[in-house]
Amino acid sequence: MSAAEVIKWSVFGLCVIFALIRVPDALRGRNRSVFLSLVLLALAVGLSLPPLYLAVDQLLGGVNIANLVIRLSLYAIFAILGVRTAIAFGSQRTRRIIAGPIGLAVLAITVLVTVALFVVSDLPESSTGLRAYGDQQAVQWYADMGRYYPGYVAACLLSPATGGLLDGAARPIHRICSGLMAFGFALVVVFAVASIWGPLGLFDVILPFGAIVFVTVGLTVAWISRRRSEAGSQRNLLA
Amino acid sequence: MAVTAKSFQLWRCRIAPQATVSDLCREAGIKRSTLAQQLVRGKVAVVTVVAIARAYAVPPVKALGEFDGYRDIPRGVALPTDAELISQVSDTDLLRLIVARSEGREGIGRDLRLEIAHLPHRHSVRAWFDAIDPGELRQTLAARTGIAPQNLSAQLSAGRLTTGLAVEAARIARVSLTSGLVVTGLLTPSEGGWAEGSRARSLSNLPDSVLLLLARDRLDSLGKQVRRQEHGNNRDRAIWENLG
Repeated sequence: MSAAEVIKWSVFGLCVIFALIRVPDALRGRNRSVFLSLVLLALAVGLSLPPLYLAVDQLLGGVNIANLVIRLSLYAIFAILGVRTAIAFGSQRTRRIIAGPIGLAVLAITVLVTVALFVVSDLPESSTGLRAYGDQQAVQWYADMGRYYPGYVAACLLSPATGGLLDGAARPIHRICSGLMAFGFALVVVFAVASIWGPLGLFDVILPFGAIVFVTVGLTVAWISRRRSEAGSQRNLLA
Repeated sequence: MAVTAKSFQLWRCRIAPQATVSDLCREAGIKRSTLAQQLVRGKVAVVTVVAIARAYAVPPVKALGEFDGYRDIPRGVALPTDAELISQVSDTDLLRLIVARSEGREGIGRDLRLEIAHLPHRHSVRAWFDAIDPGELRQTLAARTGIAPQNLSAQLSAGRLTTGLAVEAARIARVSLTSGLVVTGLLTPSEGGWAEGSRARSLSNLPDSVLLLLARDRLDSLGKQVRRQEHGNNRDRAIWENLG
């Protein structure tokens, strides 16, 4: 197994675990949106693995619709996590940039262009990551689109997440959470920008999958913090 | 400031010549591993010395006086000032006194009927520090002990003050050297030379205006502190509800 495959399988396992530990909360109706985004993330990462991709794509007709599912899942993940993270770090401005008119327009254009490029590409047979079709211009643009929207959202979230890290009055566990997420978002931005100049070799795997690890671990740290806060009772500030 | 393991060994051989380290720990109710670790590191915590002194019926103040850095403490015990005593009355007790006086249940110069809470209260350390401050206590204390001013502030905000700092602050402010040890909870009031009922006496002599203005100042700083905590709680909740 190559280094890239080891990374992908490990990250897939991590995403599945992080999604599973939130199942009981999701069943109780708590924070279903983050749960949904983790499920979509597990799905997207799973579909980057050839055995799963080929199997799922066969069910979808064998014309690489599974790849389109990955793209659209990623957009949904970033839209959901973007809004949630912005609110969590108290940045109304960032929330508006992501979920306001501009943000929604960017998302709509991204989805339309992505679907259009997918339709005009010639993709007759299942190929994980569309590797067999890398020489088509439309396929290259299609891949670029898949990095731009996440890059845009991650860039918006960098400042609030970094603010959470640098906030000396915050709980240490929340500073850890902010720091992990900030680093993950930074990786997404670096990946989106660096890819403009062409393939990055192994970093094409390390950057995005590293980002997933940092962001999901950050989310799980927040989850642990909430669990711990429920274990202890509310403090009486006047006692 | 801890005491050296060597001086601790000499001292414990004097007060309890037959006792082993295990005996000391059992009598004083401290964990054996804790004391063993302190001895290995060469520094024994003051709280350990106090616990052992109590166990062997040695007055803690006298025990502290056996160690370098604290030798002047036994001679430096004096009566606490009124400001120090009042600083050790909790915010809630001040408010209860105001209400009681307004209803005629308490009066200036009359014995206090109110049951005031035991020492130390929630803001004991900071209130004491402010009460003894002749003007530039923080700066002088930082300069004399070498502690960084922000670390001193952090200790006071957290309601802590190390033994060395508490004693040095008292030296600078020329108050009883045990006061700082009482308000940090290391010594009980009676061990530190604070007579029973002395807080109540100071409180009952307080003029109404002073009482009111004191309560106002206390509420002012409490309000600011609680606002900071609420702000922090809201931010915590935002993270829990959106990401947790």
